[in-house]
Amino acid sequence: MNIMNKKISLADSTVNSIVKVEKITAGQKARRFLADLGVLEGVKLRIVKNDLGPVLIEVKATRVAIGRGIATKIEVTC
Amino acid sequence: MRRSRFNQGKRRYTRKSRGGKPRGGKPHIRRIFTPPGSDHTIEHRIAFLGNPNVGKSSLFNMLTGGHQHIGNWPGKTVEKKEGHYLFPRRIDNWIGGISRKPIEKKEGHLLLSDEYFSIIDLPGAYSLSAHSEEELITRKYVVEEEPDLVCVIVDATRLERTSYIALQALELTDNIALIVNMMDLAEKESIQIDRHKLEKQLGIPVLLVSAFDNSCIIRIKKFLYDALHTEKYTFTPAYLIYSQKLETMINSVSRQINNREILQDYPTRWLSIKVLEGDKWVISKLEEEYVLDDIFKKIEKLKISENFDPADEIPKRKYRALKSIVKKSVIGLEDFKEKKSDKVDKVVMHKFWGYPILILIYAVFFLITFSASGPVISGLDSLFISFSEIVRGWLLAINSPAFLTSLIVDGILSGITAVLLFVPIIIIFYILIAVMEDSGYLARSAYLMDIVLGKFGLQGTAFLSMIMGLGCNVTGVLAARTIKSERDRISMILTNSFIPCAATLGVLTSITSIFFKTKPWFAALLMLILYAMSFLLVFLSAMFFRLFLGKSDTMPLIIEIPEYRMPRLKNIFHLTWERAGVFIKKAGTFIFLASIVIWIASNIPYGASPQETIAGYIGSGLAFITEPLFGFDWKIVVTLLFGIAAKEVVISALSILGLLTAAWTTPQIIAFLVFQMTYAPCFATLAIIKSETKSWKMTAIGFFYPLILTSLITAAVYHILLLFF
Repeated sequence: MNIMNKKISLADSTVNSIVKVEKITAGQKARRFLADLGVLEGVKLRIVKNDLGPVLIEVKATRVAIGRGIATKIEVTC
Repeated sequence: MRRSRFNQGKRRYTRKSRGGKPRGGKPHIRRIFTPPGSDHTIEHRIAFLGNPNVGKSSLFNMLTGGHQHIGNWPGKTVEKKEGHYLFPRRIDNWIGGISRKPIEKKEGHLLLSDEYFSIIDLPGAYSLSAHSEEELITRKYVVEEEPDLVCVIVDATRLERTSYIALQALELTDNIALIVNMMDLAEKESIQIDRHKLEKQLGIPVLLVSAFDNSCIIRIKKFLYDALHTEKYTFTPAYLIYSQKLETMINSVSRQINNREILQDYPTRWLSIKVLEGDKWVISKLEEEYVLDDIFKKIEKLKISENFDPADEIPKRKYRALKSIVKKSVIGLEDFKEKKSDKVDKVVMHKFWGYPILILIYAVFFLITFSASGPVISGLDSLFISFSEIVRGWLLAINSPAFLTSLIVDGILSGITAVLLFVPIIIIFYILIAVMEDSGYLARSAYLMDIVLGKFGLQGTAFLSMIMGLGCNVTGVLAARTIKSERDRISMILTNSFIPCAATLGVLTSITSIFFKTKPWFAALLMLILYAMSFLLVFLSAMFFRLFLGKSDTMPLIIEIPEYRMPRLKNIFHLTWERAGVFIKKAGTFIFLASIVIWIASNIPYGASPQETIAGYIGSGLAFITEPLFGFDWKIVVTLLFGIAAKEVVISALSILGLLTAAWTTPQIIAFLVFQMTYAPCFATLAIIKSETKSWKMTAIGFFYPLILTSLITAAVYHILLLFF
């Protein structure tokens, strides 16, 4: 169970897992835009694709691609 | 109470009371005027608001059909789309739908006059905050222009996310209605939406439609009519009550700004929320009148002591409220369900297979563009030639002076012909782009290209601008609007002229087909190298500009990847028309004027030998520099000068000056081709660079940077080639 609650960055999360956003440490502008697209603290996401390039996630039934740089600033738990 | 809840507002606005403005300020006057061909009618202004990819523009197109006007918002680069339709006025006791049949004409007069519904398709936005020009325009319009109804369009399959903007709009205005689109898709996923529950919770009229359903147009028209006229719908817009802590803060800001002189049209509560959210536009406006330092100090203190940031908390509360609304009114919503698109994307967006597929798709794309337009162009060409011969014959018959005949036939007509010949290619190009956009592949190619372009410090969205630029640089520069990062946007605007447009390609193919007729493989290789070079210049310049534009404004890549769907003919038609329209407009003004100027420059004094004309003198002057550098004689210089006016003119200038049959040396040809690929943006592109960057400095850079860089490269190429030939 301990492993399940480990905090990792979105960029390191495994494909098809469902994660919960814990903290977003990006700048205000990026944070606001993420919120507009439904990515904010406390929200659950599904990782659709995470290998090369932007991380593709599903949030509130929408697919959103998030650049790798910003994905490292999104902290999630499994 | 800690939990936020959604309260029914106490205010109740029926139609009558909504006529006057509830918040004070100027009284609302419904404009009455007579549109052509109808009786006295009442105009209703309805604004369509919604996220991208919710089918907002489709609905707009279906409702307004051919009655549209596309322009720009005054002083802005954002597109403004307006349309209208007429809808018969109804009498209360009239039963039987909205067909006008039963009460047609009575003694030659329409018994019922039409009402005029003017629809404004606001730019697609995810929210009403101030981080893009689109969003600023949208909320300004909603508040300051006071449309009679703001109609928010949402997607039934993604009700929660797409309704976020509706919740924001509810804080801004009371005259609001909701259209839930894509019900057909929702039904397929067995999602059921309870309209009455949704209406009750939001306190606004709700309509469920599917844009694929033919009855939807009449249903929407009826809905909008009823919302504006009848007591069928009541407006008791709900407003969100935030947590106690936030409410206290909102109230304290509200008290401070309550008696303001500025921004009187905006609701106080909304302004207070925006101040807490850190909305730069609102804050800077309010600071003209107030000192808000106290509030910011308070926020800072909360951030540090309690880790509480209102800017994060407000959207969080909104989403929480939305979640509960959706939960109560929607059945069958499943979290994280794998959709059909996901299965396709496993291959199409695969880290390895995605790329061969991308290349294949774009190869087919260009193959279709050029093979389909080929026969059309040659057909048009012969048509135009015979037409101008007819005109020449007719002019000779009426004894028109020789120079006038020449001006009309060789100047104006040949100029128009040169332009019109590019229309088929441009139209086919934009049809295919629209197919890719409407199907959802364009966003995916941006995603895939992000990995490649990222190496050069560019974002995937820059790819769209490049692809568009292959058709016409004007649309390429316009497409840079989709790039969120200001730095990338500027660098794409400045380097778009490196991307060879359809006209540049036309010059390239005609030159290579004439001079390398016997060596087709060499011609193909040369074209490939030149294209690769152009794109390399774009990439390297992007890296170069990065050094100057700084890292201050880096917006990371965050894009929505829409689901695949069947491209709709109507959407494709509208998208193509909008973009090809830009080209045709440009053709109608710049190229037309340019062809007259060019004729004058190359024919005055009339009857003189080409070298003794105005163009000849300018060319000869410049040739002193260009001859040793690139091997360009005065004729080539003149041609290229004309090309700055419009690239389409280069071919006709080449033929007028007899260069297509002249003897060129190989280094000369190749130097010419290298130079013409990237040397300068045309006038129309320059004009659009100016309007998009709003800066003369940037426009100057956009012109001189390619010119200097291309000159250096061409000089190098020419002198290296001289060693071999």
